[in-house]
Amino acid sequence: MKSVQFNVTSRLDGDVAVIYPKGYLNNLSGESLVIECGIYIGKGITKIVVNFSETDLINSIGISMLLQIIEDLRNIKGTICCTNMSKFLRDTFEMLGLIKHMHVFPVESDALKYLKAGKA
Amino acid sequence: MSTELKKALFNISALADLGQAITSENAFHEKIQSVFYVITGTFLANRGAILSYDKSAKKLNTLLQKGFDSADLDRVQPDELMSLGKNEPCLIGTDPVLAVSGAEILVPLWVRDEFIGALLLSGKLTVGPYTLEDLELLNVIANQIAIALNNHSLFMDLAEKLEENRRLYEEMRHIYHGTLQAFAAAIDAKDAYTQNHSHRVAKYSAAIARELGWSEHDVEGIYVAGYLHDVGKLAISNDLLNKVTPFTPEERAEIRKHSTTSHNITSKIKFPWKSVEDMVWHHHERLDGRGYPDKLANESLSDGVRILSLADSFDAMTSQRPYRKKMDVPAAIAELKKCLESQFDNKIMLVFCKVLDKEIKGELPEPDILPHLDKTSDLSVISALLGGIIVELSTPKSGV
Ligand SMILES: [Fe+2]
Ligand SMILES: [Fe+2]
Repeated sequence: MKSVQFNVTSRLDGDVAVIYPKGYLNNLSGESLVIECGIYIGKGITKIVVNFSETDLINSIGISMLLQIIEDLRNIKGTICCTNMSKFLRDTFEMLGLIKHMHVFPVESDALKYLKAGKA
Repeated sequence: MSTELKKALFNISALADLGQAITSENAFHEKIQSVFYVITGTFLANRGAILSYDKSAKKLNTLLQKGFDSADLDRVQPDELMSLGKNEPCLIGTDPVLAVSGAEILVPLWVRDEFIGALLLSGKLTVGPYTLEDLELLNVIANQIAIALNNHSLFMDLAEKLEENRRLYEEMRHIYHGTLQAFAAAIDAKDAYTQNHSHRVAKYSAAIARELGWSEHDVEGIYVAGYLHDVGKLAISNDLLNKVTPFTPEERAEIRKHSTTSHNITSKIKFPWKSVEDMVWHHHERLDGRGYPDKLANESLSDGVRILSLADSFDAMTSQRPYRKKMDVPAAIAELKKCLESQFDNKIMLVFCKVLDKEIKGELPEPDILPHLDKTSDLSVISALLGGIIVELSTPKSGV
């Protein structure tokens, strides 16, 4: 199986940063996800949506990266929403108890609606 | 699938992730960074550290850490950890020594009887305590990390020893060359007219050999032979060496003994290069068999001998001698050319011309021949002369 080189793109939607990881989140290249979120946090953004539509799989290294983002946001009382997750991703987050530390939505637009409604 | 089973599967895959991180071809710091992510990701720890033990300094160095105060980690005493179970995770609780670093769990890392370092963890995101299952998994992980760290430190020790050996070798080479130069100076000092002759012959010979494609090791060998080729002259009286009037046949025979004496002296030395003694022995032989001491001809003369012979003659021609004036460079080159096939080898002459031509054109970063030539020489004249010879010697002769 050929693994896709992991990369990250993002966009700003109002005061919400939407992050698009792409590829298997399983090695040091996943640090780019933490860095990308860090850049927005550094600019004062406190609401982040991670759209996992292009990332089906994650391993312990990827979990560690995600943990870092959750902590970084927690330190600034921010909110992380995860959307478009595969069953594997959702099951893994649930089993580890990570799900309690994030808001999960089926699709990106739901997360944006939630964040813009100011309920976060 | 039950949560327990899912968790067990996740733990197994975490071990696979660890194995992959450890055995990857990444640089050590990338490996250990991946290992660190595997651990913090597996246990959802927001604080963690990998410390490695420096045996000589008897202290723990922080390889990687997250969430701890560096000063706290610096205070962790290796002696306190060594009494704990090997690779056994222990819950720190209220232990006054270990609580210093603020860690919840500590694993002393060992490989057999060797203390390697420690792993510290703290602050599970899910808040719950470390379970027995967590500790068992951590034990397996600790064994793996200990081996990886130990392998790295063995490798570093080896690399350090290699570097030390290389440095010692370089030092010895330096001393060796210094001794050779002292020898050469002693030879050249005997004959007021041949000052630095040995040094120049060494340089010229090495330049030709290098251009001919010899390995750097072999180039060094001919360089040494160049330095020592006339060492036998030490056995000749100063009066004879510096005589202004022509030599009598007896005197000539006496002088001619020097290459055999050079061989006798150098054959006592166990050189790391092959043929040094052969090259010095036969540097006065000629292709037509009219040289000395053994009247060797053609195939009996190695490339090394041919190079040394040409370099020696070229320097002799371009240096002032008691019985004749020195030749200018073009005249010396013309003289070498005149003696091709009878005394000197075409191939070596071609290479000599090429290397000198390159030096004149500035194509070689460190010229070996040019700096020793007459400063008043007209380089364009020499270059034109060399160009002609290069063309002539490069063109294959038509068979008869
Ligand atoms: Fe000689
Ligand atoms: Fe000589």
